[in-house]
Amino acid sequence: MALVEVRNLVKQYTAGGPNAVDDVSFEIQAGEIFSLLGPNGAGKTTTISMISTLLRPTSGAITVNGCDVLGDPMGVRRSIGVVPQDLALYDELSARENLRFWGEMRGLHGDGLKQEIDEKLRLMDLTNRAADRVKTFSGGMKRRLNLAVGLLGNPPLVMLDEPTVAIDPQSRRYILDWVKDMNTKGLTVLYTTHYMEEAQELSHRIGIIDQGKLIAIGALEELTRLVGEHETLILTLYQESGGTQLAEAVAGLEGILQASAHDGEVVLNVASAETALPTALGQASLLGLSVRTIEIREPNLETVFLHLTGRALRD
Amino acid sequence: MRKLLIMALKEVRLAFRDVGALVTMLVTPLALTLAFGAAFGASGSAVLTDIPVLVLDQDQGAMADQLVDILQSDSVGELLAVEMVQDDAAARARVDADAVAALVTIPSGFTDRSFPLLSRVQEQVDVDLLSLDPEQAESQLTPEQQRDIAILYTQLENDPQEDPITIEIFASADRPISVGVVKGLVSQVLEQLHMTTQGISNILAALTTITTQQQGGMQNMARLMTTAGEEAMTDVGVDDLPVKLRVVSPSGRPFSWLNYSATSMAVLFLMFAVTSGGRTLLAERQGGTLPRLLVSPTPALTILIGKMGGIVLTGMLQVLVLWGATTLIGAYWGDPFGVLLAIVSLVLSATGVGALISAWSQTPGQAGAIGTMITLIGSGISGSFFPRSGLPSWLQSLSLLMPNAWGIEIFSRLQLGKSVSDILPWLGGLLLLTIAYYTAAAFGFRRQFD
Repeated sequence: MALVEVRNLVKQYTAGGPNAVDDVSFEIQAGEIFSLLGPNGAGKTTTISMISTLLRPTSGAITVNGCDVLGDPMGVRRSIGVVPQDLALYDELSARENLRFWGEMRGLHGDGLKQEIDEKLRLMDLTNRAADRVKTFSGGMKRRLNLAVGLLGNPPLVMLDEPTVAIDPQSRRYILDWVKDMNTKGLTVLYTTHYMEEAQELSHRIGIIDQGKLIAIGALEELTRLVGEHETLILTLYQESGGTQLAEAVAGLEGILQASAHDGEVVLNVASAETALPTALGQASLLGLSVRTIEIREPNLETVFLHLTGRALRD
Repeated sequence: MRKLLIMALKEVRLAFRDVGALVTMLVTPLALTLAFGAAFGASGSAVLTDIPVLVLDQDQGAMADQLVDILQSDSVGELLAVEMVQDDAAARARVDADAVAALVTIPSGFTDRSFPLLSRVQEQVDVDLLSLDPEQAESQLTPEQQRDIAILYTQLENDPQEDPITIEIFASADRPISVGVVKGLVSQVLEQLHMTTQGISNILAALTTITTQQQGGMQNMARLMTTAGEEAMTDVGVDDLPVKLRVVSPSGRPFSWLNYSATSMAVLFLMFAVTSGGRTLLAERQGGTLPRLLVSPTPALTILIGKMGGIVLTGMLQVLVLWGATTLIGAYWGDPFGVLLAIVSLVLSATGVGALISAWSQTPGQAGAIGTMITLIGSGISGSFFPRSGLPSWLQSLSLLMPNAWGIEIFSRLQLGKSVSDILPWLGGLLLLTIAYYTAAAFGFRRQFD
């Protein structure tokens, strides 16, 4: 039995308005890292908010650990830990006080809570700063404490909503390694991100979401297979403003399946880089554009997203 | 219940760790209380006109007539609207009902005690000393009269000194400023009368000296009397008055600006603290801690009540600390049990205002702006800066929509010595208002939490 089951989930914030989440269905198996990958505004946070009982679905069904989000929200909440995108901590309380408060809110108390607080502080390398107020912490330390709070009570499922947004590379690396490590210890993770590399590195399975719709789901290999044997050709131009012009010029030419532009980069989904490259360079020359770098990539999630939506993931 | 308490204690801890909040909650009201207390002392005054005052003359003597004449004269006519009364009980009832600002009672024996020589000379020598002109004493007094007056003066000088007699101002609890004006005026009139009687006494002292020593003639006596009269005009001080003033409220305790400021400032800054506390709910939503709480296995109602409970607890601690601190500097809040009841009721009600603002605001900034506006305007019309009694009646009625007005009225009554049973109707009114606040807030929260 799946730990999380999502069936035909729909969320409409205003009656008659657009669907922020549109008929999304997926399952997460126990012990799995499942990533929801999509650009900003795709519906990732809305989906996670409905699974965590924070938002009421307009329609559809969700069960977590056998508990229905509408019928037994407390059962769902006892089964999950949530690590929100923004730091949800009390700056005026110390790290230990924060953990104690959030632990007590999860129903923990006594020696059990004390032991768990000590364990989480150790896990996040915060033992030496346990008595310091959070407002004196660096951004990375706050992130780690934010993660620790999500783990209190050792819930079977932890949901991390874009945990690496706006943090330094070291902290990002720490979080990714931590997710993998916790997963090896049996933790099931629902991870949302708009970074393709993170989803690729972490996930057993990935759901690609765009404009509220889950457009593909599967393991990395299964998803890249959707693109076929295609390659990705990325041209960086000296003239940033020329990207869109070049993408429009090459779209539909022989061997070029899809084209998009972003910040002076032109991303082409091509059958063969060898045959498409002269065509693209020729068009750039005709338009008076100078190519600074050329990169050829094997199929990846970026290619998949481009293939499925016609747009680059970061558009 | 355990989670509710944990939520509440977290709120208290956060509030008391915020230095800025501590300044608003405790330091500023204490400083303002001290400032008001130092500025106005135990009473106060303000520019008012036609203050309705009853005067009960139980003395009917010459000095009492003088006092009444001055109170009714043109010089104070614009300030006071004096009405002479005969029935003490009826007059007190009118003060109790706040129909007039005060009842000034001139006690029986006032003339005798304030200027004992006056009536004796009048009775035994048939001379009205109040009409005596020092410069024309020669033509006004015969040698026999001078001798008799000197004898009476000497007799009186040897009589044992009596305690000062007291004029009572029975004051309306609802008109502290008006009462302050009345007290100030009566005090001035008494000083004026005392200067006159002191001048006359000095003249008589000189007369006695001349008569007994058989020195000089009437010319010399006139010179001495004039000098003595002038000395009297410069020597009189308030402390020398043989007549004392005592302001009593219907319940028997005097009005004091220090007391009034202590409670009114506490109420004002309680409002600031709790409206700011209510705003933290929106701040928690914006900061992400509220959503995190809502996905914890804790019912939303527990979170909400716990948070509000924390604000109530913080408010109570704030007012309790202010009660203690202002008591140390001499302020009196009233019967402790009544004060505790008032604090609990007021804090609950004020938190209701904070909850109402938070429930219907979208952002912490919006709640902050609305909270500050409501607190300042509400405090202005509710008696935090000056008593409500000075405001037009429609504004006084409007101010009853604010817990400030109820709180200050309750505390004022307690400070004037009223009992708990006396304030029960006011507590009941405040309770109804509190229920209205929380009901309106509940609709707002329901909308927000859905």
